[in-house]
Amino acid sequence: MTGLDPGIQAPARLKLMTMLTAVSEAEFSTLRDSLNVSDSVLSKHVAALVSVAYVKSRKGVHLGHRTTWISLTTKGRKALSAHVAALRELIAGVE
Amino acid sequence: MENSEPSPTPEDAAAALVEAEASRTHLAGTLALPSFFYAAIGAAVAVQIATAAFSITDDRVWAPIRLGGVALFVLVAAIQLVRFRQLNGVRLGGLASRVVLGTATAASISYAFALGASAWAGFNRRWWLVIVCAVAGGAAYALSGRRWWRRYQGDPASHSRGESAGWIAILGAVAIAGLVLLVLER
Repeated sequence: MTGLDPGIQAPARLKLMTMLTAVSEAEFSTLRDSLNVSDSVLSKHVAALVSVAYVKSRKGVHLGHRTTWISLTTKGRKALSAHVAALRELIAGVE
Repeated sequence: MENSEPSPTPEDAAAALVEAEASRTHLAGTLALPSFFYAAIGAAVAVQIATAAFSITDDRVWAPIRLGGVALFVLVAAIQLVRFRQLNGVRLGGLASRVVLGTATAASISYAFALGASAWAGFNRRWWLVIVCAVAGGAAYALSGRRWWRRYQGDPASHSRGESAGWIAILGAVAIAGLVLLVLER
């Protein structure tokens, strides 16, 4: 399917990136709890999205604990918009 | 990156979109403001307007008091943003710029109007009116923030981002220049 981004096609990644559009930066555990996935599953998705520069992560501190902050990049925001537009086209095609 | 993901059916695509948007709405809906957030910001802005008006209109105002209003505002703003981040585990640029720094149109206009009215009252030696205008300005600033928050909750993607770092830097430079002038000119 033209326009669909394989990097975001997994539903969990689409959810993760869509959630990141609601904030400037989110703490790892906040995203994990909102997505209701394990640490390892979220780590895998984040690593995949970091590898294509759709999200960036940085180490920080939250409530005295070392943690990871994750945010959407400009490239990721554009990729998400294009992917969502492609999904809408796909949906509209059968309506 | 895997390319083996099969193309979704239109039904799958619709379901994925609905789920993703629901997740975003849920995340935004779970965010909470720290207690006394609006009261703290409104009070800090009111004090800042009052001290600025007194500084502009009365030569006898001691320099630390001139800067005290701004220092209090910066302190309160920083504390509220840190509390928000600790409470929610997120950073929200729109909240920092539109609500706390007052770059929302309603906040900017009400601040400018309240500062102008306070200064006018100060030049006319109506000190009680300076206080009234400052309190009204702080209240309007806080209400503008509340309005933004409701809008954000309704459409988080459109409101989450704040002003660009460059624009904030320009505003900061103008504010610092104004402060320096305020101190040096007196």
